[in-house]
Amino acid sequence: MNILGTFAELAQGLGVTLALFALTLVCSIPLGFLGSHVSLGKNKPAKFIYNIYLVVMRGTPLILQVLFMYFGLNLAGIHIGRFESALLSFVLNYTAYFSEIFRGGIQSINRGQYEAASVLGLSKGLTMRKIVIPQVFKIVLPSLGNEVINLVKDTALVSIIALGDLLKIAYSASMREANIMPLVAAAVFYLAINAVVSLVLKKIEKRMNYYRI
Amino acid sequence: MKKVLLIALVSILAVSVFVGCAPAASGGDNAPAANEEFVKMGEEAAKNGDDSLKNVMDKGEFIVGLDDSFPPMGFRDEDGNLTGFDIELAKAVAEHMGVNANLQAIDWKAKELELESGNIDMIWNGYTITPERQEQVLMSEPYMENMQVVVVPADSSIKTLADLAGKKVAVQDGSSAQEAIADNAELAASIGEQIDFKDNVTALMDVSSGQTDALAVDLVVANYYLAKDPDKYVILEETLSPEQYGIGFRKSDQALHDAIMQALSEMKEDGTAAELSEKWFGKDVTTF
Repeated sequence: MNILGTFAELAQGLGVTLALFALTLVCSIPLGFLGSHVSLGKNKPAKFIYNIYLVVMRGTPLILQVLFMYFGLNLAGIHIGRFESALLSFVLNYTAYFSEIFRGGIQSINRGQYEAASVLGLSKGLTMRKIVIPQVFKIVLPSLGNEVINLVKDTALVSIIALGDLLKIAYSASMREANIMPLVAAAVFYLAINAVVSLVLKKIEKRMNYYRI
Repeated sequence: MKKVLLIALVSILAVSVFVGCAPAASGGDNAPAANEEFVKMGEEAAKNGDDSLKNVMDKGEFIVGLDDSFPPMGFRDEDGNLTGFDIELAKAVAEHMGVNANLQAIDWKAKELELESGNIDMIWNGYTITPERQEQVLMSEPYMENMQVVVVPADSSIKTLADLAGKKVAVQDGSSAQEAIADNAELAASIGEQIDFKDNVTALMDVSSGQTDALAVDLVVANYYLAKDPDKYVILEETLSPEQYGIGFRKSDQALHDAIMQALSEMKEDGTAAELSEKWFGKDVTTF
């Protein structure tokens, strides 16, 4: 089997990997932002429950979360597809990480800015939208980028529920050919995806580089 | 610039969602006409409280759970299509019954969970019959003979099982080769070290690199890999243990089990089964 054939075969798994990556990002960044407000909010019971969620999500391996979500729901009689269940696990897991990153970002904004805004007569919502969020986004971008790159690699975990992602397809090909070349090709794919992701992150960071302190 | 980026992103998303959510490989194309004999069988059984076969005949398909990285029983060709002896046999059975075989790739470690949670209707992919498994699932009668063998490099000094004393032996973790060694107390005690690999290919690579001395594996799997590299390895004449492959069903699905076994024996009579076996193994290894 030639190298071109291997790449063409692996491309079949690219769809699942990219879809999982993109949909997880699109869902968990906004959810993480909302979650950070629960963490910083004044509602004690909500905070308590949210903290338990954070501990569980960040304290257990994602591979087990994927496994439990899929088999747990299906054994309980809630029939959910492999992809949907993997996506749900990933969104729940990454929301926890993103929410902690946003919390750190929001807390790093000086109290004085809130006071200044309130003296100038800006409403709370306006202060958040026009003053806090633009700064927070710039502050958290490097940590966010780290997680995004991690997410690309974490998608490889879904082969545990037999989703045909990049790694699963490469693994099957490797078993058929009795050769590890397909796995090397898979590594090249992940590297290429992350090269693009890093490039995009750099572009965004550059764009956010106005009024740097 | 921004717009172009946005459009690009949205289209990537749309395409990937479409690809990602595409249904898993399904066996047949159009719903075939159900075989009346099995429809009747299903209705009979349903009267007695077992509607497993009736459900299959009504739906027009049964779901086969398989490991798609286990050549030659079940694996993917270069175009990503599922193929292998068990796959073709399952498809032929489905055709005989007038239903579709919906082939679902699963993770082999979670096969019994997949069966129990109803994601698949049967485990059919070089599934060795063992007492432990018989307790968990409704195991069919054996449908083919197999055995556990030892593979060594062609130039190895190991010629018999006794020569394995003090040597490093590789096996696939969770495989029946692992159990075969454990069951052979004398051998288990004499070998130097047993190393459990995730799969047979990495285990074989370790043997080829000289890190381990031998690989214990299913004969059908050994034959598949040895055919790829005929001069590199040999199979010891002395074998570990004979074993048989079966099909695993849910304990409650007796009617479905009976129907599949009946279909198999009818296919034995008309020669379909022997033909498939000849194609994959060069001889008839079926035992039903």
